[in-house]
Amino acid sequence: MMKRSKRLSAPETPDAQAHKKEGDRSWLKIQMDSEGYQPPRGGVILLQVLVGLLFFVFVVRFWYLQVHRGEEFARQAQENRLRLERIFAPRGRILDDRDKVLADNRTAYGLSLTREDCHDIPATLAQISLWSGIPLPQIWEKYHQDRFKVKSFEPLLLITDIDFDLVARIESEIYAWPGLEIVVRTKRSYPEKELFAHVLGYVAEANEQEMSNDPALAMGDLVGKQGLELELEKQLRGHKGLYDVEVDAHARVLGKTLREEPRGGHEMRLSLDRGLQQAAWDALGGAAGCVVVMEPDSGKLRALVTSPAYDNNLFAAGISQRDWDALRTSKRFPLQNRVIQSVYPPGSVWKLVMAALFLERGISPRESVFCSGQVKLGNQIFRCWKRGGHGSMNMESSLINSCDVYFYLLAERLGIDKLEEFAKASGFGKPTGIDLPHEKSGLVPSRQWKKRRFGRPWVRGETYNVSIGQGYTLVTPVQVAVYVAAMLNGGDLLKPQLLDDAPRVVQSRIPAKPETFRFVVDAMRKTAGVGTARVVGRKDADMGGKTGTAQVVKLKMAAGDRRLRSSEMEYAQRDHAWIATWGAKNGKSYVVVVMVEHGGGGSSVAGPVAKKVYDYLFGPDTGAPPPAAPPAARRQTGEERAN
Amino acid sequence: MDKRLFSYINWGLLACMLLLYFLGVGNLYSASGTRLGEGLAFAGFYQRQLIWGVCGLVCMLLAMSFDYRQLRNLAWPFFLVTLALLLLVPVAGKTVYGAKRWLSLGFMSIQPSELAKLAVLVLAARLLARDGRALGWKDFMAVLAVGLVPSALVITQPDLGTTLMILLILGGMILFHGVKGYVLKTCLLAAPCAAAFMWFVGMHDYQRQRILTFLDPGNDPRGTGYHILQSRIAIGSGQLWGKGFGEGTQSQLRFLPERHSDFAVAVFGEEWGFAGCVALVTLFCLFLLAIFSTAVQAKDRFGSMLVVGVFFYFFWQIFINMGMVIGLMPVVGIPLPFISYGGSATLVNFTLLGIVLNVSMRRFMFKG
Repeated sequence: MMKRSKRLSAPETPDAQAHKKEGDRSWLKIQMDSEGYQPPRGGVILLQVLVGLLFFVFVVRFWYLQVHRGEEFARQAQENRLRLERIFAPRGRILDDRDKVLADNRTAYGLSLTREDCHDIPATLAQISLWSGIPLPQIWEKYHQDRFKVKSFEPLLLITDIDFDLVARIESEIYAWPGLEIVVRTKRSYPEKELFAHVLGYVAEANEQEMSNDPALAMGDLVGKQGLELELEKQLRGHKGLYDVEVDAHARVLGKTLREEPRGGHEMRLSLDRGLQQAAWDALGGAAGCVVVMEPDSGKLRALVTSPAYDNNLFAAGISQRDWDALRTSKRFPLQNRVIQSVYPPGSVWKLVMAALFLERGISPRESVFCSGQVKLGNQIFRCWKRGGHGSMNMESSLINSCDVYFYLLAERLGIDKLEEFAKASGFGKPTGIDLPHEKSGLVPSRQWKKRRFGRPWVRGETYNVSIGQGYTLVTPVQVAVYVAAMLNGGDLLKPQLLDDAPRVVQSRIPAKPETFRFVVDAMRKTAGVGTARVVGRKDADMGGKTGTAQVVKLKMAAGDRRLRSSEMEYAQRDHAWIATWGAKNGKSYVVVVMVEHGGGGSSVAGPVAKKVYDYLFGPDTGAPPPAAPPAARRQTGEERAN
Repeated sequence: MDKRLFSYINWGLLACMLLLYFLGVGNLYSASGTRLGEGLAFAGFYQRQLIWGVCGLVCMLLAMSFDYRQLRNLAWPFFLVTLALLLLVPVAGKTVYGAKRWLSLGFMSIQPSELAKLAVLVLAARLLARDGRALGWKDFMAVLAVGLVPSALVITQPDLGTTLMILLILGGMILFHGVKGYVLKTCLLAAPCAAAFMWFVGMHDYQRQRILTFLDPGNDPRGTGYHILQSRIAIGSGQLWGKGFGEGTQSQLRFLPERHSDFAVAVFGEEWGFAGCVALVTLFCLFLLAIFSTAVQAKDRFGSMLVVGVFFYFFWQIFINMGMVIGLMPVVGIPLPFISYGGSATLVNFTLLGIVLNVSMRRFMFKG
């Protein structure tokens, strides 16, 4: 109002007169308002209201953001700025019982790409292909696969395991490729390759599921996928350290302070002996099969060989699709750990279980059965492996000679229910609890099982088959080793241990008298001395064994047909060769179980393998008598046999 | 030119304007700093803004040097030339970021849509200055057409921000001048329909997305919502007294996008806090009031309408830009006068204020 009244009084001032004159002199004709201009009243109010509104709205809003919620936003700004960076902790090494390194860490160089810093991704990927020799489509594939697993300002690992010469070359040229960075990672290496592949398993980069299950894992972390690497993941992995990293919005690092030191994983020493493992591997000579060597008193495993195997370094480095397909589709199943993941009919090795059962069920070892070479059941004929028959057989001689008829008839007398009960109590039909993944249970057939599986009732002939380890019965080699060890240690079914410092763990006990165990051990000793397991017998040590030849296919043989020789059969139809043995020398005792898939006869194929294992354990046979037999065996030979 | 003219200059306006300009340069100095490891690296934005400021002052003096009433005679030619240039854009324009807005003159590029704002402002001032009666339907439509014709051309470029500015400036001027009650009521009823029409027909997907994100920024924190969230964090974390000049982590560490241009005021808010923001808002309000006082003091209706046009030119930019930065408005690419970096914007701002000062200077002339 003040201003307006001033304006109204203005024409009277001399200044205004002067201005008017100047206006008249102006070269341009200017249209003038004839009357005094009054701004529209509504407009004047509108403008003032708008300015007032602007002030009010913004001051209130700034107060809300900066004072009312200021602390909250200040915290968010701090979180923006500080990031936690993990420091890799070295994974624990794995050693054999003599500290030979089985799983090691090595430095590997890789190349990573930070998308946000890279101006021309196609050209950069093409350059990576040029450097590394990896085909461009494969790099694109990796890029597309992992692109959204990391944020655009985080490095995306594109290739790994660049050799050192190439690293030097890339380093000299990398300045021209923004966004690329050479990264150093530790990688796992397995110097023994196939020899320990199934025991150690392998590590590989954690997948999305593993990362979501375990918050400690991040993209690019190595995690155990198979074998002990998987089972011992917690001990081996160690604990990552942490840096507080101040970063800008492009994740460029401005400064680091250590918040937590990394702690390396534990070094694990196995009970396995690399030399023994190698000897067993060599003894198998490339045949498909497996060898278990176990200490019967502690349950510690000394060798665990399965053949064929694979090179676990392939997985640790990131296996190519071609290699993976080759392994997966191989007819020899190199990915199968035959010791624990394959199930086989046990064949005559099973008679060790049956004999113990018979003794526990009150059948006298002296009761004899006449073997004529076959038994008739209805119109079915069940043969003994020996065409002409064994003649009169008692329990011991039937084990030594592996007479089938003896077991047919006595098993028939007890019935399948008792067979099933005892077999299950002896550790069959369930995992042994070994610290390796994917252990199979095997199968002890029963009436209920058959009803469930086939919808038909049990028939007597099937009891015959089960009694000699054929038919539906399926076991894993490690179960056999645990059973034999229990015979020697007095009935403790031990957890097979892979670690050097593992305690003796009794999973359960076989419900049998000590005499029963002694009888079985002694029968095995005699079998190794004069019976079917002669091949492992040696003068300088106390030895025992039982062979088995497990039929894979039920061959329909009319009376008078001769059994085909292995060499005359298709590979996949040949018998599995078994031998379950024990040996003691100089106070050390071992259980050795050998299984050769489709190998043929137990004594001719599996036996020599076991013999070579003992040659490594005890040295070549010196021919000298054993200095001292283990106490269990001694007592057995003395008193027990006299009964 | 009579030296005594200077005694009538609106010194308050000049002072506000220079204060804002130097605040802007200082803020740009801080916003240009980027911490890289140790120490700060500076981009040259504040230096260039200083140079543009000098050029702007020259433009301002030029805009003050002639009698503003000559603009009335130039209004139509200026408007028609601008329309011609706008028509040329689709034919001969350069495409930058998917939009055709620029005409290359060989030695420099111009943006005819920027000229359109000024041309509409001047022509509307001329048309509205004919008499002081509230507008009936006929006059209202005539004035509106002055804005709608160039708007239709600008929006196809596409340039939503400029179109909005043209229509808002024009609308402000019409409201200031006054319209008949029934026209106003009809327009108020028609506004929601027009908004719906814009939403479904006139907008691109990315523009719709911006409005949706504005309504719920948490929805898309790494995409469109990132700007809004980071700018709110920047301003909010300034708290009462700010982090201090050059200490803003959000801007120094580049979490804040567009911190030189559209989001420059967020840098200011982070470093000067609530106290600084209130001071800045107060300064802007004083600045607007200074323009307003010139509008009411003007000797003639044309001068007054010109100044009102300039008032709205600044008012809407301040309102929309600050509103956007503090999350009251969707993200629209409109800079904050004097605070945001921009060469041509600085030139236009100074030129328009030159015209306001021109009107204030000559408020006592030719009074018969």
